[in-house]
Amino acid sequence: MPTETEAPLSPLTPPLAPESRVVWPERTHARLKCGIPVRLVEHHTIPKFSLQFFVRSGAAMEFASDRGVAGLTSTLLRTGTRARDEHGIDDELRRMGADLSAGAGADASWIVASGLSEFSAELAGLVADLARNPAFPAPQFERERRHSLEAVRLNRTSPAFLVNERFRSVLFGDHPYAVVAPTESQVEALTRDLILDFHRTHYSPANAFLLAVGDFSPPRLVEQLERAFEGWSGSEVEQPEETPLPSHFGRHVALVHTPGSVQTQIALGNIAITRDHPDWLRLTLANAIYGGAFHSRLVANIREQKGYTYSPRSGLTALRRHGYFGVHAAVRNDVVAATLAEIFYELDRVRALPVREDELSDAQAYLSGVFSLGIATLDGLAGQLATLYLYELPEDYLETYRERIRAFTLDDVLAAARAHFDSANAQIILAGDADKMEAQARLFGDVQVFDAQGKLLSSD
Amino acid sequence: MQQLQIPVESRTLSNGLRVVISPDRTAPVVTVGVYYNIGFRLEPRGRSGFAHLFEHMMFQGSENAGKMVHIRLVNSSGGVLNGSTRYDVTNYFESVPSNALDRMLWLEADRMRSLRVDDENLRNQRDVVKEEVRMNVFNQPYGGFPWLDLPPIANRNWANAHNFYGDFQDLDAATLADVQSFFRTYYTPRNAVLLLVGDVQPAEGFALAEEHFSSIPAGAPPPTADVSEPAQTEERRGEVPEKLGTLPAMAIGYHVPPRRSPDWYALALADRALHEGRAGRLYRSLVLQRQNALEIAGGIHYPMGDVFDYNGPMQMVTRILYKPEYSPDQMIAAFDEVLAEVRDRPLPSPELEQIKVKLRSDYYSTLEGGLGSHVPRFGLMHYLACFTLFDGDPGLVNTALDGFLRVTPEEVHAAAGRVLRTENRSIVLRLPAAKPASQAAKN
Repeated sequence: MPTETEAPLSPLTPPLAPESRVVWPERTHARLKCGIPVRLVEHHTIPKFSLQFFVRSGAAMEFASDRGVAGLTSTLLRTGTRARDEHGIDDELRRMGADLSAGAGADASWIVASGLSEFSAELAGLVADLARNPAFPAPQFERERRHSLEAVRLNRTSPAFLVNERFRSVLFGDHPYAVVAPTESQVEALTRDLILDFHRTHYSPANAFLLAVGDFSPPRLVEQLERAFEGWSGSEVEQPEETPLPSHFGRHVALVHTPGSVQTQIALGNIAITRDHPDWLRLTLANAIYGGAFHSRLVANIREQKGYTYSPRSGLTALRRHGYFGVHAAVRNDVVAATLAEIFYELDRVRALPVREDELSDAQAYLSGVFSLGIATLDGLAGQLATLYLYELPEDYLETYRERIRAFTLDDVLAAARAHFDSANAQIILAGDADKMEAQARLFGDVQVFDAQGKLLSSD
Repeated sequence: MQQLQIPVESRTLSNGLRVVISPDRTAPVVTVGVYYNIGFRLEPRGRSGFAHLFEHMMFQGSENAGKMVHIRLVNSSGGVLNGSTRYDVTNYFESVPSNALDRMLWLEADRMRSLRVDDENLRNQRDVVKEEVRMNVFNQPYGGFPWLDLPPIANRNWANAHNFYGDFQDLDAATLADVQSFFRTYYTPRNAVLLLVGDVQPAEGFALAEEHFSSIPAGAPPPTADVSEPAQTEERRGEVPEKLGTLPAMAIGYHVPPRRSPDWYALALADRALHEGRAGRLYRSLVLQRQNALEIAGGIHYPMGDVFDYNGPMQMVTRILYKPEYSPDQMIAAFDEVLAEVRDRPLPSPELEQIKVKLRSDYYSTLEGGLGSHVPRFGLMHYLACFTLFDGDPGLVNTALDGFLRVTPEEVHAAAGRVLRTENRSIVLRLPAAKPASQAAKN
């Protein structure tokens, strides 16, 4: 039976034609003399290529006293090296028709460049120079620290940031994954010496890998990368001790009070699994049926039937060591309780009963089709490969994804939902005007109220 | 220098529907689009936001694909879908494995032929659109800035000056009769183009287009509308309070010359010299060197599109977030100094050459790339559609850059002198409602 909102299929609906064969991108593997592993994938649609340099250290490798150092280090890479000044770097990139960005996430820091293939040797040389020889000029350090300070202040005015920050903090407790951005005082405490230290420790060939996708000849590009990284040395990075995660018993509400908000941002969920967990793809499938696609139960219910929200979604986020499941929606203030009721109703339903056969096959077709779409462009392919190598997934992950998704049964989906959608212990985060929805929130658990700066205002 | 040559074939069906196909066998996927030559500029007076609300209605059901069925059939064919409303077009598109092509054309034809919606659908989507506006505008720092704030100050013709997302009372006033009337007026084959980009043989694509679309009645030509904007003779200014954000912001817009005129090509290069990336003169000067600004971005049709995807009066817009210790006048003075460099003397040739290389490189990525990572060749589809509807020639996708690449430093200088004048600009300030203590001007 279709969902309550759904009309039946017309007999006129054209059938699908036989599937075309998906041609998987061939990977070339190499290792530079300095030790950096390189993966190269040819993709000859336009005369451009993308070069991605990663070190396997991000914010989760910071000392608790130095929050923000990974991000600021990456931001500063492009502001000058021993041989190049900031504006020279920007001019050089424009001359090569290239874009370059540097950043840091929880588990990695990166320099990603893409430009015209005719300049591949020069672009490789520039990326290597930024990775190896940044000068971290003092005036640029001061400028970027001020920018970070303004950015963290501004963040605290964004409901989407506030709800996500609190969600991560509740789920991860004392674990470094709890932190999505440094505080003002943490940014103020950063020094240029801390940046130099972070770079010296973590930007090392023993901690790096390279990924190239696009229009090039692999042996030639490897030669160019070899020259660019020649003679670089550095040691392995010591892995910090793992901090245990908090245990969550029962549903609790954390409310970030933003007076005057005309809408409430909802995030709820639980610690789930990482990509290397045997249930990862089963759970991906269960999520697609629950709330991970436009044609999912959650979207059909709270958007298409009830009109509570524009963009409801559920999703799995997998970091290197831990992953979590989250449900997100921005709703008008008077339907916060009604929305939470529907979110939990759908969550409990997908845990209690097998989904319909057609829901299963629809979601299997959806995920396998979208997978092909995701690798059809240069940027999409580069993104997929970055995930593959950053999280050290099996080498045949791409090739086997579709057949594995299609092999799952109704029981697989039910088991994955039961094991990893932890409805009874879900943590609920709301960002909005407490005066408009705190009473609604209390129907779902005891409530802690914080202000936008993170200060605890009240607690049940 | 390698040249990119995109294969393009086009035909017009007997009902006036144009069909454009660009085959590309890189991956077994195809992106299908239908573009209607109607955007928010031409929505009816008293019905601000209607073009966008109507776009939502196109997902609510058609004769043979009722509520949620269109969405289900795209997703369960392994595809994704969306639509968007812009100044001069509204688009609907889906990317799917190419074995679903027939089904996608059937779906698009069904809703072009027969929108089948009721009051319940309208109520539902009105609620959804209001949450969309709350999320993107009212509950968002700098929400709608400057795409909603600048047009009412810069323009005099209602078509260009109204609230494109819609006042809530106008959304509430919209009726099912409005929906059907808008559909009959603008959603006709003769006012649309169908695009097939990716894994499709042109002969097969044209045959399928003929099969599904050719029996849809052509409809009457839509009424001609006057979107012209009277010449501006003095600077215009306005102010909108910023209720959430901590930083003062401003946007500056200049009316640009008509599309494809010599000054338009030249000004587009001045625009790139000012706005393109960190090497752009505004970012370099105000963010990196003087450090009075924190964010600067801009361009012609910023932030809604680019030089190719509009058809009517347009502005070159600069959006600036700056430090609270500077006053608006100080920021405008700093902006003016940078502008004067471009207006008062020709760009150095090496700079113009770099800008052209970057323009070409960006164009390639736009053509190849997706929307997010799941609508492959969205950019190619989008440009093919705009070149067809606005210029009658999808083949322009292979020559569109030529006019820009021929521009000389002297032409940039001359165009900048004619366009970047104080009396041709509008400025909107968006200042935090509760000013921090440090707001006091520096001097």
